[in-house]
Parts: sequence; C-alpha cells; structure tokens
Amino acid sequence: MTTGRLYDIQGFSVQDGPGIRTTAFLKGCPLRCPWCHSPESQAFARQLSWMSMRCLGREACRDRCVNACPKGAIEEGPLKTDVATGEQVRTIHVKRDLCDNCGACADKCYAEALTMCGRDYTSEELVSRLLQDKNFFDTSGGGVTISGGEPLSQADFTVEVLRGLKEAGIHTALDTTGFAPWEALERTMPWVDLYLYDLKHMDSAKHKATVGVPNEIIHENARKLSEHGKALQIRIPVIPRFNEDEENIRATAEFCVELGDAVQVVQLLPYHNMGVMKYLRISDLKPLEAVPPSDEKMEQLKNLMASYGLKVTIH
Amino acid sequence: MYQNAPISQRVQEIRAMYRAKKPRIDLARYKLVTEFYMANPQLPGVLKRSRNLRNLFEKMPTPVRDHELIVGHLGEEFRASAIYPEHSFQWVLDELDVFPTRGVDPYDLNPEDKEYILKTGDFWIKNATCAAIDEVFPEEYYRDLLGNGVLNFTAKNNSGSPIGHYCGNYWTVVDRGLGSVLEEIRAKKAALLEKGLQGDEGQTLQFYRAEELVVEGIILYTKRYAAECLRQAETCKSEQRKAELLDMADRLNRVIDKPCQSYHDALQACFLYQLGLLMDSQPHGISYGRLDQYVGKYAEADIASGVLTREQAQELTDMFILKVAEINKLWSEGATRTGPGYTSGQLITLGGVDREGNDATNVATYMIMQSSARLKLHNPPLALRLHEGTPAELWEAGIETTKQVGGVPCFEWDKVAMEALMRRGIPLEDARNYCLIGCVEPCVCGCDFANSGGDGNNAYTILPAALWCAINNGINPFSFGPQKNTKATGPQCGYLYEMKSMDEVLAAYKAQMDFFTKWQVSMVNCYEYLYAMMNPLPLLSATMTGCIESGKDVMWGGAKYNGAGNSSIGHGTVADSLNIIDQVCFRDKIATTRELYDALMNNWEGYEDLHQYILGRCSHFGNNDPEADKYLKFVADTYSEGITRGISPRGCHWTAGCWPVTLNVVMGMFCDATPDGRKSGAPLSDGISPVQGMDKNGPFATINSILKFDQANYANGTLCNMKFHPTALQGEEGDKKLRAVMETYFRGGGMELQINVVSAKMLREAQERPKDYEDLVVRIAGFSAYFVEVYKEAQDDLIRRTEMSV
Repeated sequence: MTTGRLYDIQGFSVQDGPGIRTTAFLKGCPLRCPWCHSPESQAFARQLSWMSMRCLGREACRDRCVNACPKGAIEEGPLKTDVATGEQVRTIHVKRDLCDNCGACADKCYAEALTMCGRDYTSEELVSRLLQDKNFFDTSGGGVTISGGEPLSQADFTVEVLRGLKEAGIHTALDTTGFAPWEALERTMPWVDLYLYDLKHMDSAKHKATVGVPNEIIHENARKLSEHGKALQIRIPVIPRFNEDEENIRATAEFCVELGDAVQVVQLLPYHNMGVMKYLRISDLKPLEAVPPSDEKMEQLKNLMASYGLKVTIH
Repeated sequence: MYQNAPISQRVQEIRAMYRAKKPRIDLARYKLVTEFYMANPQLPGVLKRSRNLRNLFEKMPTPVRDHELIVGHLGEEFRASAIYPEHSFQWVLDELDVFPTRGVDPYDLNPEDKEYILKTGDFWIKNATCAAIDEVFPEEYYRDLLGNGVLNFTAKNNSGSPIGHYCGNYWTVVDRGLGSVLEEIRAKKAALLEKGLQGDEGQTLQFYRAEELVVEGIILYTKRYAAECLRQAETCKSEQRKAELLDMADRLNRVIDKPCQSYHDALQACFLYQLGLLMDSQPHGISYGRLDQYVGKYAEADIASGVLTREQAQELTDMFILKVAEINKLWSEGATRTGPGYTSGQLITLGGVDREGNDATNVATYMIMQSSARLKLHNPPLALRLHEGTPAELWEAGIETTKQVGGVPCFEWDKVAMEALMRRGIPLEDARNYCLIGCVEPCVCGCDFANSGGDGNNAYTILPAALWCAINNGINPFSFGPQKNTKATGPQCGYLYEMKSMDEVLAAYKAQMDFFTKWQVSMVNCYEYLYAMMNPLPLLSATMTGCIESGKDVMWGGAKYNGAGNSSIGHGTVADSLNIIDQVCFRDKIATTRELYDALMNNWEGYEDLHQYILGRCSHFGNNDPEADKYLKFVADTYSEGITRGISPRGCHWTAGCWPVTLNVVMGMFCDATPDGRKSGAPLSDGISPVQGMDKNGPFATINSILKFDQANYANGTLCNMKFHPTALQGEEGDKKLRAVMETYFRGGGMELQINVVSAKMLREAQERPKDYEDLVVRIAGFSAYFVEVYKEAQDDLIRRTEMSV
C-alpha cells in the first residue's frame, strides 16, 4: 500500500466527467502553466497557505501563530473588516523568504487561516473516503475523478486508488496533462473509464516556452490511449494570446480527428482569473492576469472545431 | 427546456397592484365580531361561533373589483387584513401605535379605525380566548416551570393563535356542492329529534344546528357576491366587462351550493370555501391541500372541449394565485418574527400519487406552478410531492421554479411521508392521499384533523434549552437581566462539572426531554380542552370526512383521522454540543468539564483558545464523521419518543416534527452559549441541518450526516434547507444534477427539501440595495418571502447557511 499527497477533495463536482462526482486532487505537477487556477497543486512539497478571510485577527488569538514560528517569519499584516462584526482587525503577513513551511504556525491557527496545504493518505484511506459518496454516484451516474496537479506523477498511488474504486464498482475518470511515461498511463488503463486529457498547444516549442515542457510525449500518449480504445474527453484551456489563434485551434482539431472515435467530446475551457487570489495564499506573487475570452470568441472557436465533425462543449 | 409563457396584460396589472399595495388592517370583520360578541354574552361556544360566522356571512362586505374574475375579500379593501379579537387581543392594543411603522411586516391603519379599536378594546381583554387560557393552565406550571425556555408558555396572554393547521375536504365543495351537505345535515338533525336526544346527544344536536347555520351562511354569502356582480353589470359601460360580470353572477349563484361545472367554477369555489374558513378563524396554517387534484379534471375537460384555451386557463390560474396571495396573517410583531414577509401559510400541495398509487400529475399541477414562477410570488407556498414515477417534465418544472422563486415549491418525498403517516396508523390508500399543512406537515387531505401546529406560539420544543437544564442541574441560566437565572425548572440531575462520563450527560438530557415533552403535551391538551368548548370549527367540520357522520365537530374528535403535532428546534445545536462535550471533555480531554462549563457560563470570555479550538479543530456534526454524527440520532429519537408518548384529547398520539419557522433565530436570542461553540444570542441550528457554517465538507457529507436519523418517526414533518450557489446549477445539466442530489437525499430516507439557488454575495447586495432586489424570493423556513421584506437577523441567518457550490 502506498501513500499519496492530496491538496483537496471536492464533492459535487459537475464538470469533471459524467454525473455528480467527487474529485480527488493530487498535489504536484511537472508543468507550470501560468494560467493555472490551482497554484497550490504545483509543488510536491507541503506549503503554508494563508487565507486572510478566515483570520480572526491577532488580538483575538493573541498571536498564537506569531509566537509559534521558530523563524520569526510572521509579521504584522494589513487591517481587514471582520465580516461577522464589521470591526477592523489586524491580520498577519508571512515573510515567505524566512518561512520553511514547517507548519508550526498552522498547528496553532484554530481558525484555519493558516493551514498546511497537502495531506497524505494511504490508498486505502482515500478509497474508503471516496466511497462515502457512493449513494450520490449511484443516483446521478457519476463517480470519482482523480485530478491534480498531475496524478501520474504519483503513479503507484494513483493506480492503487483507481483500482480500489473500480473494484468497488465506481465510475472512474483520470484528469491528466498526459505528461508522464507511457508505462504509467498504461498501468491505469484497466481501472479508468474516461480520461480527461489536456491539450494546451500543438506547437511543441511554444508549449515548452510557456508551460515548461514539450508536448511530444503528451501527443504520443494520447495516440496510444486511443489505439487501446480508451475513451477520451479532450480539454483545451482557451488562453488569450497563447493558444486561441485559428491556426492552433485548427491543428488541435485535426489532432482530435486523428485520434478518432476515442474522443467523445472536446471541452473548451475559457480562461478565468478566479484563481489569481489563490496565488497570494501561498506566495507574495500575483501572476499576470489576462482578460477572459468573450462568449462570442468561445462560440466562434466552438464552431470552428465543430466544423471538423467533433462534438464540442464550452466548460 | 421548461419555460414560462408570457403573462397577460391584465394579470401584469394585478400583480403590479399587489406588489405596490401596503397591506392595511381592515376593521369590517372586527366590528361585526365585536358587536356580535357584545350583544350575545349568553351564547355558549358552538352556538356563539356558528351564529357569529353566520352573521359574518350575512354582513361582511362583498366588493367586486374591476379587474376580478374570481372574487372574495376579507374586508372592504384590496389586500385587506382582518383582526380576530376573539382569539387574542392584548397585542393589538400594545401595537396600535406602531402597526404602520413596526420593523416586521408593517400595516397601515386608519385613524378612525384605531379610535374604534381603542373604544372597544377593553371588552376583548376579558373576552378573548387568550384570557380564559391563562385560567385553565395549571398553577403548578406557573409556579415550577415558568422561564424554562424549552416550552414557551408565559405568565399571561398565552396562545396568540387559535387552533389552526388543517385542510378541509375540497372535493366535497367542488364535486358535490354544499347544498347536498346541507340536506344531509337537516336529515341528520330531523332523525335525531325524531328519535329523541339520548345521552350526550344534546351536544350532537347543537353541532347539527351549527352546521346548518354556517353551511346556509356560506351559500348565502356566495349569492351576495352574485348580486353585487349583477348590480355592477347594470351600470357597466364596457360591454366586455358587463359580459364578465354576468358570467360571474351566474357562477356565483351556483357554486358552493351546487357541484362545479368548469375550471373557473372550481377555482372560485375553492377560493370562497377557503375564505369562509379564514372568516371563521385566523389564517394559521389553514392549507389548501391537493389543489391540482380538486381542479385538474375540470381544467383538462375545459381545455379538451375548447371552453378554455390553455392560455386562458393559465390566466385564470394566475388570477386565483394572486387572490390567495392577497391574504395576510396579521400577527403580533414578536410572533411575526417567526414568519416574516407577509405570509399566510395557505400551503398548496401538488403532484404525488392517487389512492391507487398512480402518478397524479395533471395540467393544473403545471399551471399552478407556472403561476408562482412567472408571477414570482412567495405566497401561497407550494409543496411538490415526488415519487419514483414522477414525470421528468414535472421534476424539471419544479426545479426551474425553485431556481426562479426561492423555495417555491418545497419538495416532499412520498415514500417517507407516507411511511410516517402509516406509523400513525393510517392505511396505505389514505396515506397516498396526503398533503402538507402549514409549513411541511404531512396529513391526509380532507379527512385528517391534523392540528399540526399546536397552539401556534407554543407548538415548539426548544432542545438547546433542555440541554442547558441537563448540564446545569435543571436550571436554564438564561435571563433577560444582568444576573443569571437560578431557579430550577427541570429535573435536577447535577452539573456538567460533576458528571464523570458521557453516559451521565446523556441520561441527564433524556430526563429533561421526558419531563418537558410530558409538560408540552399537558399544556397543549389543556389548551385544546378549552378550545373545544369555546371555539369549535363548524365550517371546517361541514366537509371534513367523519364529522357529519359522527355528529361531532373536528374539535371534538369528529374527523376520520386525528393528529396532534409538535415541532422541535435545535437538533443540530444539541447534537453538535453533545458531540463536543464528548470530544473535548471525555475523549480527547482538551478541557475539563469544569472548564467547558465555566466557558459557557461566561459566554466563552476568557476561554477564547478553547472556543477557537472547538470551532476550528474539533470534528462537528454535518461532515459525515460517524463519531461526531452519532448524537444526531440520539437527539432526534429522544425527542420523538418523548413527544410521541403523549395522547391528544381526540385520542391520537402526538407526533414529532422538526421545522423551525424562524424561531431558530428568535429562540437563539434567548439561549446562552452552547458547547458547540455557539455564542449567547446567536441563532440555533436550522431545521434538521447542521449548525450554520460547520458543515465544511460539501453537500455529500452534509446530506449523509443528516440522513443518520429515521425521519419516518417524524410524522409531523422535517425540514431541510439547502442553499446552492447559482453557478453550481446552471442550465439543463445543472437541473439534472440538482435532481440527482435530491433523489439521493430522498432515497436515503429524507422527507423534505427546500432549495435556494442564490449566492451569499447576492443576498448581501440585496441588503444594501433593496430596490434592485424587490422581487428576489427566498425560502426562509417553512415558507418563502421576498428577501427585502424579511428582518435583518433572519436575512443574516440565511446568508450564514452553508452554500453548496462546486
């Protein structure tokens, strides 16, 4: 039995495969997509997360976090208005250059404003947790989606979890970047009903320049999955000034056509900037923001891809 | 995809008038009742009530407004709100100056009307039923139990409401006509006299005399409206309106008396019969029952034969629903806090199965729901019965309606509601014919005197107050003054800091619940004894199956089935509190029982670390953690076993319920801090839900936690609020997913669900800019309301409820 690291489990997911699903998010990813809306999914190590919204104020907890920090990494932060009382309270600020993510402060933050992002489960623990929601899968035709990060970066764990779920009769989906050794993907095949498979850019150089890795292995793995008759739901994050040009969309559509019947649907996921605030929970850096593509633009891209005979949805 | 059809110009105008009109107190009823009571002190209960109602039928104004095709008013004015001084009165005098400006549901009042009330008010202080109630309650309660907080009987002016929460038999009115009932009554009376009165048949005779008076009365009342239509037709300039008036006159000369012939007839008859019930007694949960079943076959026949187009039928339905919406329950400000937003509790039940178990959906089911949706009306509340054979189209209509009009309809699962009724001893065929009463209380439609609302103000058992008595030697420490209360009102089982184990805590809680449920039953049974003497319900008894046959008023046990319902408040608060005591003091030993006790007595002041630890670090009920959830079943069963032991004056067992109206907010104001981390004065948990905001693991875990007690033991209904973020349920796919969540809940043993699709952000905006959100309807508790018409604390409670999202 192996142990894996998750950063979240969400019930009532409605966009990660059929029916109502519970999605387990594994921590750690080899890609660094600048638009990533779950920045806490990227690093493999546990990270200190800071949510100002939950902070009770330094006075209320009498600086338990400040006093707990062995590095002196917690300093005075800005004032905020407490939602419940309407009063101004003094929050904290984490000096990231001093913080080594030891978690001592989070241990003392009962309000869970400071938490350690990343929790370890054995595969058995995770399966039994996910099976708690089985009654919802049964009525909705849903199931479990294993997502990330990149779940195949924790391949042994992912395979064990998928296998456990499959053996309990659960519909399984694996949400992957495809950036993993084929052997890893191959091992998941007996236990996965549907692959949610990302295609970010068809030009490998641009792919590498933007997300940090080339795309050949991703495309190769997609072809192999389709050859094995596995069902694919292709997901394309539509990112302004990166992959939304006609040339790339056409190339993507052609690739999907090449994959044949394996592709059940192509999902266009318009860029949104709701993840921006999440960066500030784990760092002082705010990523560059773009303007989300307009509804007309999305509709245009959908029609373009549909003209290749593909079934396309937005979201 | 389900869509609303466009609304006719005429209906749009009526709706605009309805929304623009501030309700006014109308003295027509008050004056007639006052004069009658003053002139007739010699009349005993049933004679007084029947002649009083007859007098109202003869003399109440019968206005017919230019826009109306369906008539009936509780006074002279549009949206008239009547006063019922014969039930309770002190509050009317107390609030006389503030009615137009009070914080919750203000009403206009003319200066001359105010003057009249002042002039006549003294009479009612001694003559309202309220005054007599204070006399019949046992002195032991006043001496030993006053201030316990679990029950809400007070030193004076108990019973703000009469017996309510029932549903007449509309099939009799619509299909048979009351003229035929009248013949039956006369025949029964003649036979009785012929035979000679034996034993207690003196009472039986009075019953039939009363029935005859009021049934004749309502037929007469209907014909008075016909006469008014004819009078207006004579001088009417518009040909179209004249034709309408003549058609209405023809109808009003027939319906109520004779069987209905058309959909329009059926709607008019239902409205006037309900109005008759409301003229007799305050709108205290007087429900319509299965309206689509009474009127559906007429609608289908009219549409099939071409008498009405579907659009015309829909327009009539709109007009009917707007008529029902006109009615308000005028109540004291304090009591209105439990049901704010101009509601009247005239719940309409739709869908479900027929007596044979087949799906009962018909065209009226859809039209009634469509009226609520497209007119965005919070009132009347609707309940939609669902079962395994409910058509997909009806599911969709129900879900789309609740997305547009928050909580309209609420959803009830047949299997669980019927199982609960069968545990009351009701056979399957009759259980299939249930409707919901008041908020969410199942009862057999037309033959079950459910009395599910107790005596109104005191229909509730406040569980967190019993918890306080359990851990504080029988003393509820809450007081309105600076000093804590020190008088023991419950069994003295010791203090938390003397208790050595969780078993001792649980035993102490159970002792309180056994004690207080016994007293709850005793007090309301006393109240019912008095009401049976003073305030029988003759018009209701005319149709309720069993009464004419047995010669007994519903209040004397005449109905085929009888119920007596109670509701509990604070399941979640107590379950979580017991869980925290166990976790903190006994299992994890984070604090001693002494420390936790002191923290509570000091409202957590000086114990901030412990307080924050409990809120943030402890496992709470509502997250599908078996260790934390196990106390829910204990709390639910302890209450239901206690209350169900009671027997009502009509011979039936009492039933358990859990629906809070907004008393969870109001009663929270009168409850000291509780172990779950709640501060003194904060709201108690809502319905059967976990403590607000403490279910942190998403909707699956919340629902699976709630399902850990047997809801079929709650024959008086359970209420579960769920709030979804709109983005979680967008579009057709969203509807399907919501349906799946609902079905999972129901198949797991859930009885009722009511759903708001609204974000906390939107609600906060509505608080700030009420003008922009005038038509935003939200489900509050057992009813919906326009959000901006609800008082702030109840608004805040809604915002605090956990929002389910992706």
